[in-house]
Amino acid sequence: MKISFNWLKDYIAIEDGPYDLAKKLTESGFEVEEVIPSVQSFSGVVVGRVDSVEKHPDADKLSLCEVFDGEATNRVICGAPNVKKGQLVPFAKLGAVLPQGFKIKKAKIRDVESTGMICSKEELSLEKSSDGIWVLEESLPVGLDFYSHLAKQQDHILEIAITPNRPDCLSFIGIAREVSAITGKEVTLPSAPIKEDKSKPIDSHISIHIHDKEGCPRYAGRVILDVVLSPSPRWMQERLESVGIRPINNIVDITNYVLVEYGHPLHAFDLSEIKGAEIHVRKSDLNEVFITLDGKERHLPTDTVMICDKERAVAIGGIMGGLNSEVSEGTRNILLESAYFKPSRIAQSGRRLGLSTEASQRFERGADPNGVTAAINRAASLISSLAGGRVVSGICDVYPHPIEPARIFFRPQRVNHLLGSDLNQTTILNTLKRLQLDYKDNHIIAPTYRVDLKMEADIIEEVARLVNYSNLPSRKETTIVYELPHQKTDQMLGFLRRMLLELGLTEVLTNSMIREKEAQYFTEEKAVSILNPISDDMTTMRPSLLPGMLMTVSYNLNRHQPNLRFFEIGRIFKQDSNNPLPAQPYALCVVLTGDRSVPTWNTTKEEIDFFDIKGYLESFFRKIFLDNAQIFLYDKSLYLNAKETIAIQIDQQVVGYCGKVKDEVTGIFDLKKPVYAFHLELDDLLPKLMLSRIFEPIPRFPHVEMDFAILVDKKILASQVLKYIKNIGGNLLHNVEIFDIFEGGMNMSADQKSLALRLRFQSKERTLNDTEVNTIFKEIITKTTQEFNATLRK
Amino acid sequence: MIGTINPVIFCGMIQKGKCATQAFPFFILKLIIAMHNTIAKIREEFDKDYASVDSLDALEELRIKYLGRKGLISEAFNLIAELPAQEKPQFGQNLNRLKVEVEKKYENLLSRFKSSDHSSETIDLTLPGRQPFIGRKHPLVQMADEIKDIFKNLGFGIEDGPEIESDYYNFEALNIPKSHPAREMQDTLYISDEIVLRTHTSPVQIRVMERTQPPIRIIAPGRVYRRDTPDASHSPVFHQVEGLVVGEGVTFADLKGVIEAFAHQMFGKDIKVRFRPSFFPFTEPSAEYDFNCIFCRGKGCRICKNSGWIEISGAGMVHPNVFKAVGYDSEKYTGYAFGMGIDRLAMLRYGINDIRIFFENDLRFLNQF
Repeated sequence: MKISFNWLKDYIAIEDGPYDLAKKLTESGFEVEEVIPSVQSFSGVVVGRVDSVEKHPDADKLSLCEVFDGEATNRVICGAPNVKKGQLVPFAKLGAVLPQGFKIKKAKIRDVESTGMICSKEELSLEKSSDGIWVLEESLPVGLDFYSHLAKQQDHILEIAITPNRPDCLSFIGIAREVSAITGKEVTLPSAPIKEDKSKPIDSHISIHIHDKEGCPRYAGRVILDVVLSPSPRWMQERLESVGIRPINNIVDITNYVLVEYGHPLHAFDLSEIKGAEIHVRKSDLNEVFITLDGKERHLPTDTVMICDKERAVAIGGIMGGLNSEVSEGTRNILLESAYFKPSRIAQSGRRLGLSTEASQRFERGADPNGVTAAINRAASLISSLAGGRVVSGICDVYPHPIEPARIFFRPQRVNHLLGSDLNQTTILNTLKRLQLDYKDNHIIAPTYRVDLKMEADIIEEVARLVNYSNLPSRKETTIVYELPHQKTDQMLGFLRRMLLELGLTEVLTNSMIREKEAQYFTEEKAVSILNPISDDMTTMRPSLLPGMLMTVSYNLNRHQPNLRFFEIGRIFKQDSNNPLPAQPYALCVVLTGDRSVPTWNTTKEEIDFFDIKGYLESFFRKIFLDNAQIFLYDKSLYLNAKETIAIQIDQQVVGYCGKVKDEVTGIFDLKKPVYAFHLELDDLLPKLMLSRIFEPIPRFPHVEMDFAILVDKKILASQVLKYIKNIGGNLLHNVEIFDIFEGGMNMSADQKSLALRLRFQSKERTLNDTEVNTIFKEIITKTTQEFNATLRK
Repeated sequence: MIGTINPVIFCGMIQKGKCATQAFPFFILKLIIAMHNTIAKIREEFDKDYASVDSLDALEELRIKYLGRKGLISEAFNLIAELPAQEKPQFGQNLNRLKVEVEKKYENLLSRFKSSDHSSETIDLTLPGRQPFIGRKHPLVQMADEIKDIFKNLGFGIEDGPEIESDYYNFEALNIPKSHPAREMQDTLYISDEIVLRTHTSPVQIRVMERTQPPIRIIAPGRVYRRDTPDASHSPVFHQVEGLVVGEGVTFADLKGVIEAFAHQMFGKDIKVRFRPSFFPFTEPSAEYDFNCIFCRGKGCRICKNSGWIEISGAGMVHPNVFKAVGYDSEKYTGYAFGMGIDRLAMLRYGINDIRIFFENDLRFLNQF
């Protein structure tokens, strides 16, 4: 809301300057976002007289002018079409500094020197854009310093952010009441003298019938005859412009003026268009269509409050008038409407219509049902004095169930209870009195314009904000309860994050909203989609972290960052028919691309492969002590390459996948390099973690290592052999690992491979002797070669 | 020098030998002298070679020449057999002394070379080393961790809640009914009529209060969503921390104290906090709080538009209607709630002026934190 500081003084005496007032308003809950002086400072500009205008010898659109500045005559080039001999103009002399800091210097335009500048309003920052130079009133003395002249009318516009609970302050009088509460000065309401024409009563001009009493508790009308439509007076236009309202004609301007003055929306109808001289307020009909005064056809939602005459709708109540009844050039007689509509009904219709107006914003937040008369009288008074109308005697005011001021139960001692303050009762009640809030019988009586006051806490806030939050105490200590229940999630995610960082991975955070096309590759079900997405690239909730990470990889590769090792921990989203909300488990994703090692002068450049990502997976599992994860080959992934993918399973439950991202998928992210990834669902994994560790004594006796190699069929998996040996190895076999593997050696057939295995034997109780180890070792070799139809390599 | 045989003494021996000529034939005597000369020669040669060793390789050559299996000293030992028996011990002792002497010098030199790596090739030690990949925490997570640490010190527990929320938790229970104009304060993304992407972390307040009874003292960090077109100061995805304290006798003064403590721990003791009245449907009284600008420390600068203050977020006393929604007795219990933007604080802390950069994850950005 824009409030003109000078205009505000019509309603209340203000001792402070605009900046101090702004500070006080901000501290009492009306945040002044900006104070804008109407005239910004400039210097060296005087009133000049144009003594001659000639054409520039070398440019059609430029004129060569002689301007007298009170002391000397200057030759100036001017580009404005409206410059004429004899005009008085704001003239910037050499050395002048304009509001934007622009300094006037000697300039040559097409070989002709120009010493100074004739200014437009735009150049003096008085309007956004000007068509030509500013031609001044003839009464001004030539040579007058123009800034001091303008500064006499200096105003300041306060840009105030009004919170939605205070619609009463979307007005000068509302703000004046707040200033009054802060400073203690009285509010002066505008006088509204009306000379009523008593020849015919209002009832003979109009009758009003409310059928939708819920949506429209009050509807009042006044009739004004023989108005003359014309532009409104200059002072009114200037005031409206200063608060951002475009002047139209005197009638519309007056309703707007009263709107910003009182905060109560009014509407003026052309009375001759009101058929049958009847107003009916009813709910909209099913599929009703109506053309609003902006010429747009509106399909009315049900339960919209409609203002109608005998035959047809003439306005959407509280939102916008109709084209069929608007005040226009031929209008002579006016029906002025001042009504009160139920906020929720206006809000609902406004939202459904996608229509928000100055009127609807105020009605949906809550206008004052008892402010109807003051507003309509003020407007009638202004119309009669500024548009020459005759105001018909009386108001046709239909208000079947008057709305009473709220009585709010209030205990002054509760103020200190909630604020931790030490205010005495007199201070509290005096503070409230400054807001016109009277305390009687343990209750506060709140005026009907204070729609925000409903309960004790609201009253406490009124005290607090006027005492000033800065003056309320701040406590330095409290009693802490030792055992509060709290979730472990954050702690667990923090632990996993730390482990991934220790593995040398860099954390990213990606958008949870992605393209539907991208989401499809990562889920077999339909992904969770957004009804009203911001844009095409944010339509769907990510079913996996991988798409976002691939986007990140692509972003970095395009910026010549070739070696990427990223992880992300975050929620993913899936449909869940068993619950009201979609499933949103936490997931973890790691992606790798580029070189195996940080490129330096002494490392050989090698591209990463499957075993790099698998290595990260295994290291991560070791770090989180997850030793019961099993892997199996998996060739059904939507996004991972069938030949290079494993599934990870714990206790028969698949918790994630690891492998190379399909070319088809990297393709949609414009990735040309191979990317490897693993993705784990943490809600499945976290419960499996055994993070409480118990010390296991370090072996005191030496171990014995023995190696052997076998030739087996290529199709036999390393994991099968290891698992078999572990099973049959007995309790002295501590570990078995593969330390070499190759194919195509001498004396090997094409479908064979050589597996070299290292067995470690260890006892917790004693040093092992060669004979017993040898016996077990030989037995293992025999059984293994038999089991896998292998030959022992010698 | 231990074991060095003085040539003068040698002569003496020879003169003594004159007496001994009776015992030895002349050619034997000549052999004895030659052999004693051999030891002297080896020593002389070794000393020369020893002085010129300048690399591990040269040292190895030295070792082979003198101490090797076929080295000069071994060969000298082989000569012992040819000496008369009474001369053998004397010669053997002398030769042994030489061997010990040479070995010692060799070892000294070897350890000197090893410790200073005086190999023949000089390595440019200014070349970079072999580096492992290093990981970095996302700056927003760093900021969240810092916030969490401060509140943990202030006795707060950490809670979590879903990002896709029901209309009830995100709005209704927070005293924002369907027609409430405050709904327009936050442009909402919908999954269905009744399901939204949470527009703030405040629904966690409701979930926690439904689950437990007072006293409550928690913060809930998390991701939130708004239907904002991305620009330098808006991101449709961003992060907040919600705070909630409920108990008997909890007051606005506690809220002020906690926020001040936070400001001091986060940005320094000299940072002042300002509370201004504001409006949120789920708190009454409501406040917005500002910190002294952390760049000019309150003096006024370009970043704070010369006001000396930077707006941080909102807070207030829990609205009685919110207590009503979770079945708490607002006569018995009072509470305060506050919010803060993780992204916003990170932007302030790191001097970042475009929120979108957090979600671009440019490695050159991430590597700065």
